[in-house]
Amino acid sequence: MATIFPSNEWLKDLSIKLNNDTKYAQIARNWEGDICVVIEPSGPLTEQLIYYLDLWHGKCRKTEILKDLSSVKPKFVLTATYDNISHIMLGELDPMTAMMTRKLQVHGSMAYMMGNVPTVLDFVRCAREVTTEVLS
Amino acid sequence: MQPILKVNLTTGDIAEYIVPPEWERDYLGGASLAARLLYPLLTGDLDPFCPESPLLFLNGPLSGTAGPSVGRFVVCGKSPATGLWAESNCGGFWGPELRFCGYDGLWITGKAEKPVYLWLNDSHLEIRDGTEVWGKDTYESQTYIKDEVGISGAHVLTIGPAGENGVLFAGLLCDHGRAAGRTGLGAVAGSKNLKAIAVKGTKKIPLARPELFPPLRSAANHALKEDNLTHVFHDLGTACVADYADYLGAMPKKYFHSGVFEGVGKVSGSTMAETILAGVSACHACVIACGRVVRLEDGEKRKGPEYETIVSFGPNLLNDDLAAITRLGELCDRYGMDTISAGGTIGLAYYLFDRGVINIKDTSGLILHWGDVKTVEQLLHLTARREGIGEYLAQGSRLFGRHFGAEQEAVQVNGLEVAYHDPRAYSGMALVYATSPRGACHNQSDYFYVDLGQADSSLRMEFYNRQAGSEKALNVARHQDWRTVFNALVMCTFANVSVDTVVALVNSACGLDWNVEDLLGSGERAWNLKRVINNRLGLTRANDKLPKALLEPYQDGGSAGYVPPIDEMLKAYYIARGWDPETGKPTPKKLVELGLEWVTQDIWK
Repeated sequence: MATIFPSNEWLKDLSIKLNNDTKYAQIARNWEGDICVVIEPSGPLTEQLIYYLDLWHGKCRKTEILKDLSSVKPKFVLTATYDNISHIMLGELDPMTAMMTRKLQVHGSMAYMMGNVPTVLDFVRCAREVTTEVLS
Repeated sequence: MQPILKVNLTTGDIAEYIVPPEWERDYLGGASLAARLLYPLLTGDLDPFCPESPLLFLNGPLSGTAGPSVGRFVVCGKSPATGLWAESNCGGFWGPELRFCGYDGLWITGKAEKPVYLWLNDSHLEIRDGTEVWGKDTYESQTYIKDEVGISGAHVLTIGPAGENGVLFAGLLCDHGRAAGRTGLGAVAGSKNLKAIAVKGTKKIPLARPELFPPLRSAANHALKEDNLTHVFHDLGTACVADYADYLGAMPKKYFHSGVFEGVGKVSGSTMAETILAGVSACHACVIACGRVVRLEDGEKRKGPEYETIVSFGPNLLNDDLAAITRLGELCDRYGMDTISAGGTIGLAYYLFDRGVINIKDTSGLILHWGDVKTVEQLLHLTARREGIGEYLAQGSRLFGRHFGAEQEAVQVNGLEVAYHDPRAYSGMALVYATSPRGACHNQSDYFYVDLGQADSSLRMEFYNRQAGSEKALNVARHQDWRTVFNALVMCTFANVSVDTVVALVNSACGLDWNVEDLLGSGERAWNLKRVINNRLGLTRANDKLPKALLEPYQDGGSAGYVPPIDEMLKAYYIARGWDPETGKPTPKKLVELGLEWVTQDIWK
């Protein structure tokens, strides 16, 4: 069954993937921190979407779809347009490249982020592996 | 632009030099204009240490304007390390302060009878006795001279004992620890008995369109302040790339012979931020503030190491002690030595000792064990003083290797030690190192960022895989041209500013109506002129190569198994450049195209 990004099912599948992927569990074993992914409208996406993921020691403890950021204080907020983030999900855009070329905004502790590059990249691998289609 | 002040240290003559307007237009300033100005003087028979050898300190049209990361200047001449074109650029406040004096440059020739320093107070220049300050380290020298001139806000550019003693990788430092480190121009200053130059100005920097520049500058700085890379550089310093570089196998270890080192995580920018970081420092008007201030066990605040120093005295020597790296970096700064070349040359000594090529009879009795930083400290002392094994270390890795019959093991190109961005992880750096006009240099093109994805479409650059081959040759050439523009302006490569913004700033500062291709054309012209200078100094196609170690694959790590196809890449590069593939020289047609027909006879006799 197709898992379309972005969708409630996609977020649910990502959570299951993160909690069952042994490689991610190993690489992210020391990661402590929640993230919000803010998807700004562009292309076929007409409204802002905010996904919340509580990531802790190689597991995903909670996911939620938020209306705004007022109820949470995540360790990181990642913001990108739908077009750019869908390119990342399809493997057409490297997440580090996106960060360096202003296609993905990152707010949070850069020390923590750069010290955990393998975890970040493996998180993206998991997200890509559950993405079978993107909104069009 | 403002005049350049020419100073002859032999005669004491001082004169203003007005740059012809067409040169100002064609070369903009900085290293590009320096190449045009010095072209007639840089001949094959010129000894870099003779009195006639020029030392040209030059700003660019954006230096000191408080634009985005433009508080920089360049120093140029003939390198005693490479025998080729020398340029080194430096941040801090010294360059802007020179412009505030009403001069865009200082052009030094001659040799003083005894040690001197220059004191430029607005437009008044004094050649002062420097006997008392000779022998002091760069930090002491700055303090001493500031006290002696007695004017608040004076900035001092100085050499240390390494420059006085002719160490071939001696640099000049200002504003505590900002360094013009590469190509040995500190030793050229030392050969002239020139210890330092103090500057203090009160004048306003002229702008061609003063009504347009301030809003552009403000918008550019605001945008830069919000940029991701700015946040990373601000929070972690230039060592922000360390963790990712290690992940990709781009950070050399064990003198470029190992792809992994367990202790890497202990010496990264993120570790520094979480442990010893006590503050940040910035160059003139820079919103990034990549400089580190750290506090070690003695409680004193001091300069923290940047990426190159961390790798040079860290993983390069299998050392994971960040405090020790900080102290070794400070030792180099105080002596006035380039940390890339110092660590690179010592790395070669360790490698040769490990292989049994040299032994304790050669090393002044020292045992060189990987990871032993106490010995590194001793070697730095010996190098700066040129004592014992230090006499050979002071000549850089090429000559050190040659002395011990192992020149091929030296990781250098044309006499300049390779910076710590491994071309086995970023193949674009293979071309950058092989063709840089000053030897293996990452500041002529920090192409590793392009290989990581920072391929700017407005420069008509495409993105290729970081280990792609000859298809990226044109990309590399365009990026070199773009960075040549930065080295003319003089703008910091850490400023992730849009191309359109740079074009607009240049137009308003210089009164031009250029587009990006015009600007790139200026960069290409200067790149080719530097190539011609080097051709005239004896550089041939055979000089465009990588050292042996970089053509052997790593057995492990993130770039294991790969070596860049340098021969194919060079062939494609010569075509992309419009250079003759047989000789590697710019063709007469290319020279005409760039308005450089006047040099044709010098290399095509």
